[in-house]
Amino acid sequence: MKKISVDHLARVEGNGGISATIDGKIVSDVKFSIYEGPRLIEKLTIGRTPEEDVSMSPRICAICSVSHKNAVLRAMENALDVKVSPKSYLLRELMHMGEFIESHSLHTFYLALPDFLGFPNAIAMASKYEFEVKIALEMKHFGNHIMKTINGRYIHGENAVIGGFGKYPAREELLQIKTRAIHFMPFVFKTVNLFCGIDYPDCPDAPTLYACCEPGDNKFGFWGDEILLSTGKTFHRDDYKKLTNEFVVSHSFAKHSLYQDKPYSVGALARIVNLGERLEGEAGKMYKKYYSSKWKSNPFFHNAARSLEILYSFERIPELVDEILKLKEDKSIVDYSAENGKGTGLVEAPRGLLIHHHEITDKLVSQVDIITPTAQNAEDIERYCHVAAQKLLDEGKEDQIRDRMDIIVRAFDPCISCSAHMAEVRNAPKNNWKMQLEEVTQKGDPAFIGVGNPTLSDDGAGIKLARELKNAGIQDVLLESEIEQDEDLWINDSDRPLIFLDAVDFNEDPGKVTLLPLHLILNNTSLSHRLLPTVSGLINYSKMKNTYVLGIQPDSLQKGNQLSAPVEKALNEIREQLTNIREQ
Amino acid sequence: MNKDKLKIGIYELTGCAGCALLITDCEMELIDIFNAADIQSFLMVKSDNIEGELDIALVEGSVTTENEIEELKDIRERAKVVVAFGLCASVGGIQARFGNKEWKENYQKIYGDMEMTHTKPVQSKPIDAYIDVDLYLPGCPVGKEQFLHFFTRVLKGAPPEKYPRPVCVTCKYNENDCLLNKGIPCLGPLTADGCGSICPNHNLPCTGCWGPAEGANPTSEYFLLKEKGFDIEAIKKRMSNYSGTKLAEFFEQFKKESK
Repeated sequence: MKKISVDHLARVEGNGGISATIDGKIVSDVKFSIYEGPRLIEKLTIGRTPEEDVSMSPRICAICSVSHKNAVLRAMENALDVKVSPKSYLLRELMHMGEFIESHSLHTFYLALPDFLGFPNAIAMASKYEFEVKIALEMKHFGNHIMKTINGRYIHGENAVIGGFGKYPAREELLQIKTRAIHFMPFVFKTVNLFCGIDYPDCPDAPTLYACCEPGDNKFGFWGDEILLSTGKTFHRDDYKKLTNEFVVSHSFAKHSLYQDKPYSVGALARIVNLGERLEGEAGKMYKKYYSSKWKSNPFFHNAARSLEILYSFERIPELVDEILKLKEDKSIVDYSAENGKGTGLVEAPRGLLIHHHEITDKLVSQVDIITPTAQNAEDIERYCHVAAQKLLDEGKEDQIRDRMDIIVRAFDPCISCSAHMAEVRNAPKNNWKMQLEEVTQKGDPAFIGVGNPTLSDDGAGIKLARELKNAGIQDVLLESEIEQDEDLWINDSDRPLIFLDAVDFNEDPGKVTLLPLHLILNNTSLSHRLLPTVSGLINYSKMKNTYVLGIQPDSLQKGNQLSAPVEKALNEIREQLTNIREQ
Repeated sequence: MNKDKLKIGIYELTGCAGCALLITDCEMELIDIFNAADIQSFLMVKSDNIEGELDIALVEGSVTTENEIEELKDIRERAKVVVAFGLCASVGGIQARFGNKEWKENYQKIYGDMEMTHTKPVQSKPIDAYIDVDLYLPGCPVGKEQFLHFFTRVLKGAPPEKYPRPVCVTCKYNENDCLLNKGIPCLGPLTADGCGSICPNHNLPCTGCWGPAEGANPTSEYFLLKEKGFDIEAIKKRMSNYSGTKLAEFFEQFKKESK
């Protein structure tokens, strides 16, 4: 078994890695690991005052600190029934624009662009692209400047508080922001043309579901009270758990999320796919010029989507400043007196949907639930990496897998501090399936289903093996023809592993045995089997992740009922191994 | 790279990555920083990192896994000077607030009984719990000016400036009205300076996010706060939010007085 890995993903915010395990011609495992340790943030503010919670919980993440601040404020103000002044509302939107400009310009120019221009980092890129690097830095600086002006500091500003702001920024400061935003426009157009025009590498077709905030009023925007899916379905903020279904995985301190047992994506691309039609002005024109259906299935277009959002933000800033300056002076903090309540706040962080849920009992925080974008993207990151790795392996470009996975992970702009750094390629040891089989059986006693056609020589291997296992006295072994009789065994019991026994063509030496999780096979372009689509439709994703295919490479699939010698040998080995495990 | 340039490594342990991000936030100075020093390792910004001998290692974040303990010890062996960069590295961060038992309970509530395959978690601690630290630069995150002052001084071979005084000193320079006089429980007198008294500048009480001030006078503070009628327990509780494992030693004086 070979493992390809990027142990420490560079140019991402935080500490993580991604690994793919290669067993011959098959990518048998992909894991997105977060090394960032556990911080227990959701428990830290229990028993503190709502004000302390608003100060502390954005400390989850530096690069999204304003998004976290706006999310926790929206949640708290929903919980305590506080309605802020129109001026505070618009200033909060303005500081959110600051974060998008800062984060997107850092990501697109400094973290992502070196990948597509072939440099190890942006500073090295500066020798050839001095203009871009310098102006992008100024753009990032401008985003920071907005956050500092409004929230008091670049990172973890404290000026935004429940009820409004400690102090409003001065009129002159806002006018200066407006003027600078207008001055940046020529470079902003250049940015959009650059990132929308890059010839991104192909990603094998792997469509996904996209989720983002519904800003309402048929507008584009970065927050709302509903979640919108690319299917058109919406959820009210209080029903956020219908979308996110967080669970713990053993290779990461970040939880993973699934919607209806399927991975989904959030982020810039989700917003442009779901809401792009609503873009107006120059951003609307650029969307019409560049957007195409291929954006939907290729995560590299996250970078193109980010450039459209930079343009949207720069167009929105002068409007916001004008609206703010029209408003009369008011008290910067609205009074509030509620002592109990629970509320949810939804915002779009630069990397996607961010959900904060906070509950207050007797003036103190009693419950906190925070769902970050990277936690929601984790499953999709693993899935896209697997699809791409398998395709490169099929094309004989194994040496490119590591770099490709690194770039895919980075395309999602994962914020690892949020989610709890990234790529590795491993070669499976010889007879890796034996070790894997032991691991699987440690999770629970597996059930087996033998599949195949015994009249096509080696294709009958699965059926024959199942019969032999039955004869050897192993429990819960079914034949393909018997599965309807005992659905309980393989549909409902998700704690127990399920293993399909089958002849699978991996283009390998005859008789080679491979064990791999079913959810990976479904994405695998070179494998398919008549039974698998049916099965995958019946079982849920968590069951699917606990379902495996023990595949044997056939030699011949001609008519006949004899198995070839290498396949017979493989069957004996499997039977022996399984009996040994059972006896232990 | 020029042999005369200082070799610097910037490392992130567990935290919000804000202190490392702060360096990238020095936009106008960033290219100069990379030209003035030999930045050997900085994972957030570059992929061609070299892990060798260093003149200075800036470590941000607190230690929360066994792998991080190993990484930290390796950094210490390679670096002449190790700087605890930011609040998490200096005091353990907000995530170091829990006592051992409380930490275990809360860890279990979030991650259940699942055994992590990639590393083993440990309770959050500042880096000086495992290695000798030469310098501390607290702050959540470290202030930009604070970092640039430190960096230029170190490049010129001068000792870095210390910030032993509490927030109140800068707050007075900024001519703010004292919030304590208005009955608002501000943590300025107990908190390390370096932020520029940002919260009181916005009419808001100091949240304590630079951690306990080295040069504060806890005895006199205790009587002052008591005299003004503040709830000492509530202040201690608020102070604990950003003081990590260093809170206990800081309040030893406080405790003596209250007896």
